[in-house]
Amino acid sequence: MILRRDNIKRLVELVTSTGGVFVAPVVDTRQVVYRAIGSGEEIELNYILPRNSFKEFLFPQTEVIARFSMNKGGVDLENMDITPPDTVIFGARPCDTASLPSMRAVFTWDYIDEFYTRREERITVISIGCTQGDDDCFCTTVGLSPESRKGADIYLLETEQGDFVVESVTDRGRDFIQRYEEVFEQRGDVKTKALFMPERIDGIDVERIKGWLSKKENYQSPLWAELARKCIGCGACTFTCPTCHCFDIMDEAGLLEGERRKNWDSCQFDFFTLHASGHNPRDTQFKRWRNRFMCKFNFYPNKFSSRGCVGCGRCIRVCPVRLDITEVMEGISKEQ
Amino acid sequence: MERELRDTARRLLEDKTVGVVVGYSWNRKKTRTTPVFVTKPEDAERLIFNPLCVNNLSVYLTRKYPDVRALGRIGIVAKGCDIRNIVVLMAEGQIQREDIYIIGMTCSGVVYRQELWEGELKPEIMPTKCHNCDVRNPHLADTVIGERVSFTPPETPQGVVFDRIREIEGMSPSERWEFWMGHFSRCIKCYACRQVCSLCYCERCITDKNMPQWIETSAHPRGNLAWNLIRAMHLFGRCTFCGECERACPVNIPLNILNQKLAMVAKEAFDYSSGYDPEVHPPLRVFDPEDREDFIK
Repeated sequence: MILRRDNIKRLVELVTSTGGVFVAPVVDTRQVVYRAIGSGEEIELNYILPRNSFKEFLFPQTEVIARFSMNKGGVDLENMDITPPDTVIFGARPCDTASLPSMRAVFTWDYIDEFYTRREERITVISIGCTQGDDDCFCTTVGLSPESRKGADIYLLETEQGDFVVESVTDRGRDFIQRYEEVFEQRGDVKTKALFMPERIDGIDVERIKGWLSKKENYQSPLWAELARKCIGCGACTFTCPTCHCFDIMDEAGLLEGERRKNWDSCQFDFFTLHASGHNPRDTQFKRWRNRFMCKFNFYPNKFSSRGCVGCGRCIRVCPVRLDITEVMEGISKEQ
Repeated sequence: MERELRDTARRLLEDKTVGVVVGYSWNRKKTRTTPVFVTKPEDAERLIFNPLCVNNLSVYLTRKYPDVRALGRIGIVAKGCDIRNIVVLMAEGQIQREDIYIIGMTCSGVVYRQELWEGELKPEIMPTKCHNCDVRNPHLADTVIGERVSFTPPETPQGVVFDRIREIEGMSPSERWEFWMGHFSRCIKCYACRQVCSLCYCERCITDKNMPQWIETSAHPRGNLAWNLIRAMHLFGRCTFCGECERACPVNIPLNILNQKLAMVAKEAFDYSSGYDPEVHPPLRVFDPEDREDFIK
């Protein structure tokens, strides 16, 4: 099948006119970002990777999970009804789509978090193989590539003419193409553009990293301070990361009523592990950074079959001190 | 310049004048600069200095980094603008002059963001602070490296930030509200602005005070407005306009406009510019019977 570039606008119309949400890359303040759009005119298809990951459409940065009010008799609690709209994520990159199984793993692990799963049940993910990239892309180093279909329902390849060759990956993808068949055409004789393959970083061995991290004695290795001392403890890496998923529960209330919110949290914040006693087991910044690295390359692969890092490189691009995760991966790969 | 820097750093580490030199080095691909902590004399070779050295390393001098302080007396590679922050830290009693060794670098400007670098420092890729810089030759240092730079800043400050301030001053209150709420709505509460700032050294930031919760931590418009305003207020008369918060912001909130406007108000109301004299305290920290009162109407 072929999706002509001119037909994308029509697809947006069809999806949004039936109450669906259409998320696609757009330009905002000199950046390309995933955003829910009202018209196909807004879409920007000349991009490497949006600044945000699309996780915010499944796991919003802030959301009300309950309301409460006080009266003479006690406290009234109100549950939130979660009925998300059908949502299309268009123009996702293969690294981002690969993060979906990782998110699902953590939100369905010992408890089914319906705030996540109900949204996930309603999304259709349409990814586009990357024809451009930059120095910070490293998907090939963590076993992925622009050809990866993992997590996608429909996978697109751009043609020389700027149209897209359509491949349905899942049943949901097939259903989607059927429902909106008027915008898809039969494939003619087309040539697809070459994909951008990030160079695999030779010095990195993910299995070896996992082995080194699993050894208890390495937890206190002086290497951590050496590699991560410059971390300044902001949450830019975790908030733009497609697999970071930590959240905090906060109450925001007036005198007699309020709401309970689920907000993104970051293991890089100094209060993340602060105990009520005043003790903080991660008392310096490099220990907090160690946690993020352990989470991606040790806890995740040991606990789940999905990956903790998809190699999108956002944490490298946004880091105010250019703490490059691949340099740490390289440093640890050298260790025995 | 780099030769001299490396030799100086090596000497300081060899004769134990300092325990660590905080400076800049290359990333693996030599495309971006990144902070480095040099503790061994032989590693002084890693130090570099060029227009990509944008970071204000004075953030590592604060009490937030006990592990850096534990390495011994700190030698710091600093441009004039970075030294202005060091001066504020001294004026506010955060560091003692003798606790640090300032390796001052003469500077012809840096890039606004490293991504803009294409091999040449052109005026259009320099931040507003560089166009108006009066400390290209460091004003406080233990040693100064690099040739003296002759540069006289324009009498009337120039650059994008000043243009934008004039533009905003011409707006109606509701237009201004819309302008700022539009920008703040993108805030993701990552606190990169706070963490990269050497003057945000509180061990417990007001937004982390949750009994009661003074500032809502949710990234909704109310919480985002509260956070960005409280941070601006807490930096009034202290901020040196180093621009680190705007550079660190992953969602491009134009914080430089806010900070420069506050600096202009501090100058207007108190005839004070921060970061020049460690003996003079920031205006909101001192009581002075000579203070003008006519600015409160």
